[in-house]
Amino acid sequence: MAQHTAPQQKVDLGPGFWPVTIGLSIFNLIASYFIATTDLATYLPAAAAPAGEIDGLIKFMAVFGNAIFVYVTGFIIYFAIVWRRRASDAPDSIGIQVHDSPKLEIWWTAVPLVLMIALGVLSVKVWANLQSQSGDVLTMESIGHQFKYEFRYPKLKNSIYDEMHVPVGTPVALHVTSADVIHSFWVPQIRVKYDMVPGLVQTIRFTPNKTGTYPVICTEFCGTNHSNMAAKMVIDTPRDFNTWLTKQAQIQASGGGPVALTGGNAATGATLFSAKCASCHNANGGYEAKIVGPGLGKLASDPTHPMLVTGEKPDAAGISHILINGYQGPDKSQGKEGPSAGAMPNKAANALSNTDISNLTAYLLSLSAKKS
Amino acid sequence: MAIATAGHIGVASHHDHIHPEPQSFIGKYIFSIDAKVIGIQYMVVGLLFFIVSGLLAEIVRAQLLTPTGAIVSNDTYNGVYSLHASGMIWMTIIPLVTGGFGNYVMPLMLGQRDVAFPWLNLVAFWMFPVAGVLLFGSFLVGAPDAGWTEYPPISLQGPPGTSLWCVAIFLVGISSSLTGINFLVTIFKMRAPGMTFTRMPLFVWAQMATAMLNMIATTALAAALAALFLERQFDIPFYDPGRGGSPVLWQHMFWFYSHPAVYIMILPAFGIVSEVFATFSRKPIFGYKMIAFSSIAIALLGFMVWAHHMFTSGMAPWLQLPFMILTMVVAVPTGVKIFSWLATLWGGKIEFHPAMLFSLGFLIVFTFGGITGVFLSSVPADLYFHGTYFVVAHIHYVLFGGSIFGIYAGVYYWWPKMTGRMMSYKLGVAHFWATFVAFNITFLPMHWVGLQGMPRRVAQYRPEFQFWNDVESIGSFILAGSTLIFLYAIAESMLKGKKAPANPWGARTLEWQVSSPPPYYNFKKIPAVLTNPYDFGEPLPYVGLVRDASNPEHPSTGRASSGTPAHA
Amino acid sequence: MAVTSFSSLNTSHEAVHARYESVDSLYRETRDMRLLGFVLFLISDVVLFSAYIFAYLYLRNSVPNWPPINKDGHQLPRFDVAFAAINSCVLFGSGATMHFAMESWKHLKKPAFNMWMIATIVLGVLFLGGQAYEYHNAQVTWSGSTLGATFFTLTGLHGFHVFVGVIYLAVLYWQANKGVYTGSKYFGLTAGTLYWHFVDVIWVALFYLFYLM
Ligand code: HEA
Ligand code: HEA
Ligand code: HEC
Ligand code: CUA
Ligand SMILES: [Cu+2]
Repeated sequence: MAQHTAPQQKVDLGPGFWPVTIGLSIFNLIASYFIATTDLATYLPAAAAPAGEIDGLIKFMAVFGNAIFVYVTGFIIYFAIVWRRRASDAPDSIGIQVHDSPKLEIWWTAVPLVLMIALGVLSVKVWANLQSQSGDVLTMESIGHQFKYEFRYPKLKNSIYDEMHVPVGTPVALHVTSADVIHSFWVPQIRVKYDMVPGLVQTIRFTPNKTGTYPVICTEFCGTNHSNMAAKMVIDTPRDFNTWLTKQAQIQASGGGPVALTGGNAATGATLFSAKCASCHNANGGYEAKIVGPGLGKLASDPTHPMLVTGEKPDAAGISHILINGYQGPDKSQGKEGPSAGAMPNKAANALSNTDISNLTAYLLSLSAKKS
Repeated sequence: MAIATAGHIGVASHHDHIHPEPQSFIGKYIFSIDAKVIGIQYMVVGLLFFIVSGLLAEIVRAQLLTPTGAIVSNDTYNGVYSLHASGMIWMTIIPLVTGGFGNYVMPLMLGQRDVAFPWLNLVAFWMFPVAGVLLFGSFLVGAPDAGWTEYPPISLQGPPGTSLWCVAIFLVGISSSLTGINFLVTIFKMRAPGMTFTRMPLFVWAQMATAMLNMIATTALAAALAALFLERQFDIPFYDPGRGGSPVLWQHMFWFYSHPAVYIMILPAFGIVSEVFATFSRKPIFGYKMIAFSSIAIALLGFMVWAHHMFTSGMAPWLQLPFMILTMVVAVPTGVKIFSWLATLWGGKIEFHPAMLFSLGFLIVFTFGGITGVFLSSVPADLYFHGTYFVVAHIHYVLFGGSIFGIYAGVYYWWPKMTGRMMSYKLGVAHFWATFVAFNITFLPMHWVGLQGMPRRVAQYRPEFQFWNDVESIGSFILAGSTLIFLYAIAESMLKGKKAPANPWGARTLEWQVSSPPPYYNFKKIPAVLTNPYDFGEPLPYVGLVRDASNPEHPSTGRASSGTPAHA
Repeated sequence: MAVTSFSSLNTSHEAVHARYESVDSLYRETRDMRLLGFVLFLISDVVLFSAYIFAYLYLRNSVPNWPPINKDGHQLPRFDVAFAAINSCVLFGSGATMHFAMESWKHLKKPAFNMWMIATIVLGVLFLGGQAYEYHNAQVTWSGSTLGATFFTLTGLHGFHVFVGVIYLAVLYWQANKGVYTGSKYFGLTAGTLYWHFVDVIWVALFYLFYLM
């Protein structure tokens, strides 16, 4: 039935087909050249080993991705212009009735297939390097919490929060997992990320190669303050790193063990509170009952202030955290940043021992329990 | 061919028994079993949910005007974007492309009076608005806030609305599963005589592939949702790692559905643009068979790539490789389609009708989104891209630029058929250009912002990203404005649109061979089909069409005398 | 390119007509859609079961020991195979009686059909009773462990299918005796048989997974 009107002899591809094709090709060649010779790291800073390889992969994809996109778009626009219906055309005029062309179809199946094979091979190569075990010099752990990062070093008894240090030039194997919900560990300058999944340990391997301070970002939704969950990764020189590590060990040795989150004595806490805190805090009212700092009577049971001003949950961990570190910054207690209410002194300024902190925490939690 | 038997055109079978048209308002418009009415019901409700979900997106963009979050609290924000995505995917696109266009157009294209199981169709439809109300109603009890993917354990802690979300999605899931079965039977068993598989319009092929996905994948989602619901409400452990469950299990079950779901959303759009390209280029679709078969190939491959969403999630590393390779392979059949459409344009008499403009825009934007999809499929690269705005950009290039552009094209194309009225040509063109430009302003910078390190699902962000976020937000406000043009064009056409002839575009598929809108029974006699429907310049390949005043005979080539002007 | 219109078809009307008749006969052969619809429904039901079976295997493989420990910390026992085996035989027996019922119907033996149908229904009810007994005496709870969760969800889903099946068969029995079906038109019975065998086959998988594996 179908009538092929396309003549069997030389097909007339239409006005300007070859010039346009050549033009697009030249454009693609130039663009490819620029993509291939540009160092991605000038736009997207890199600071550790797999970054270079991954950038190479991305550049490879950008080259053919750009080429395909430019050809497709270029031909669409060009065809739409040359083959448009003109005012002079008869109302029932039709296009050239071709149905298919096996030769063309084989080409446009084969070329993408080959490209995909190339991409596959390259990806597998980079992937294999990511898995390689060789030379784990520094092995450490990071544990995600709502909404902070905990870091553990083999040489430190206790965990460090929200700031990690690694020495430049040393391969790192970072085991990541989570204490509550799924988080993720991502430093854009390293490129790779893995999710921190509760009950599962994954390993990120990288070798820092540029000192500096970089953001650790949580890219997996983990609750109200997912937006603000971040830590710092400091890449030190090996000397600075050792100094830092020694200092942390000393602090931990002098400060005694970790703060006990349970078993604090609320009665002792109450005495301590009237001595050290009552000048700034009301123990009876809710958040609004301010003296200098917010009222603490409904700390863990105030629906209008579901979080602490630090953005942490008002549980033992969150409360002891603010008692240890103090806090001054935006008020995140409503799940949204508000203006700072002032400065909460830290552990040293309030002269608190770890036991004091446990007791105060128990006392503060007991207040909320009574009121709710 | 089988042996000829005695018979005349339109043998007396139960297909020829024309049911009387219901006369009451309720029977005609509310609980109708006529696929055309149900199709329009899907479209109307879907459009409503599109506007709601779109307005939620505008809240998202307004919030992101400033780094600290301009208007709502973190918790509200999380609910807003979660419902934005859930609403767009399950309450807008899937119902529109399957229930909407599928019901209205497909039986007509097959030369039939209805789908295989009209009552089932009615039941499936009514689950959809109920589900939509439940979904958006969850705002009243605390909207689900862990994104449309609702990964446990965070979704186990989520507000009460999360359980409502499970119920709502379960309901639409069952609805689309039933629709899938219905459509498959319709396509396999109810084609007009002579309509062999290779004479089916490409839109029907697309619906067939989609129906397969709907029927199979959606049930797996139902299982996952039921388990999440049980765990939330009755403490039955499936996903909580503290109790021996596995959060990664949810991800497998969810993506086993949701990856095929993205093809559920795009394949019908492929079908729509195939029809539009043929009609407005006045050419047979190039490589008909390859386009038809590649839909099936994409559907099949679609079942084997789900874990590409989970490269960072903690599956065995070696498992990443087969998923990566298979994902890359999908680019090949999709490319075959893209190139075949390009070749269809070649040598055509291209008319820049709004439907055609949206299809051309689709081709450009979807190709872009597909290529970024290939970027994401490479494991080492995805370890960088995952969870950033780069992924958000990919999503919108394929979903807005793909599915929504396809839907717009479909609306402009079949509007006269569905309503019997013409739509303003000028408004359509304005709508296209405004949408196309605003779309790119909104979503193009997201690639860059994502590469620089902006994670997704954040209510606040680092100040250095503000500039591009503001650009995106302004783009999105223009995008919303462009939607108003569309709504206005609809209203204008309904109030004072010119009456549409049966076949304003001179198209050749069967739905254009009956009056606009078609009579209740579609075809007085079931026509017979002699060849495939895209040979412009040939006589129409149908026998047995009944012509009368409402459906006059007209030239099969070129355009009808009425309709829109032929443009230079 | 010549511009042709619909009317030109009339000139070759003869040829077209002949062709139309032949395709039409083909068309009528494929009219019965219900069977296909039902089979497709069963396929999507298989996916539902498969999803939970996948969940079961996944959870099973993600812990070092199976059966896992309960929420109160004690090691869960394995299920009692003996009782379940007997109960399975009841269900498989009902599959056989269903087969005989169908054969009887096809050979127009109404009394035999009635007898086999009733046997099937009784065996189905017996199986459900056995299930209930087993649930009652189970040492695992639904919410206690992943074993409990998957066990009760899967067997519960299956039990629900059997329950629906029993009602379905009862309706078919009633319809058959009301004269709804004839010796050549009995789609409802075919569907019922298919469904019942389907439920049987699913049970084979569940029995293996929970009792033998
Ligand atoms: C309509 C919906 C749709 C469509 C069609 C696609 C199509 C594709 N998608 Fe996309 N995708 C989504 C919707 C869609 N996606 C959504 C919603 C998400 C996010 C979910 C979430 O986390 O919230 C997502 C996420 C997503 C990820 C996970 C990212 C992450 O979270 O880390 C990946 C990774 O592989 C991916 C890949 C692909 C690929 C390879 C295709 C391919 O099918 C594309 C194929 C098309 C082309 C390639 C273009 C045309 C082809 C040619 C012109 C031929 C030549 C081309 C080449 C040789 C390259 N997508
Ligand atoms: C079909 C799918 C679809 C569509 C069409 C859209 C459309 C839009 N999306 Fe959406 N989006 C998703 C699917 C979609 N999105 C998905 C799956 C996610 C992932 C969510 C997740 O992470 O879980 C997402 C996430 C997402 C984010 C990231 C949120 C985050 O990670 O924090 C953003 C941010 O800008 C965004 C913006 C937009 C915008 C501006 C539009 C615009 O196109 C919207 C345009 C506006 C309209 C169409 C409405 C206009 C209507 C009117 C003005 C009518 C008013 C008139 C009356 C009242 C009568 N979307
Ligand atoms: C010098 C004044 C001062 C003293 C002394 C002080 N605090 Fe505070 N505290 C504040 C301020 C100011 C804030 C609010 C900080 C902000 O919003 O940035 C605060 C915040 C807090 C919070 C968080 C409240 C919330 O709603 O999130 C707790 C808990 C708290 N303090 C406990 C204590 C305890 C216990 C002591 C005694 C050891 C103490 N504070 C001593 C000033 C003080
Ligand atoms: Cu932790 Cu997001
Ligand atoms: Cu996917």
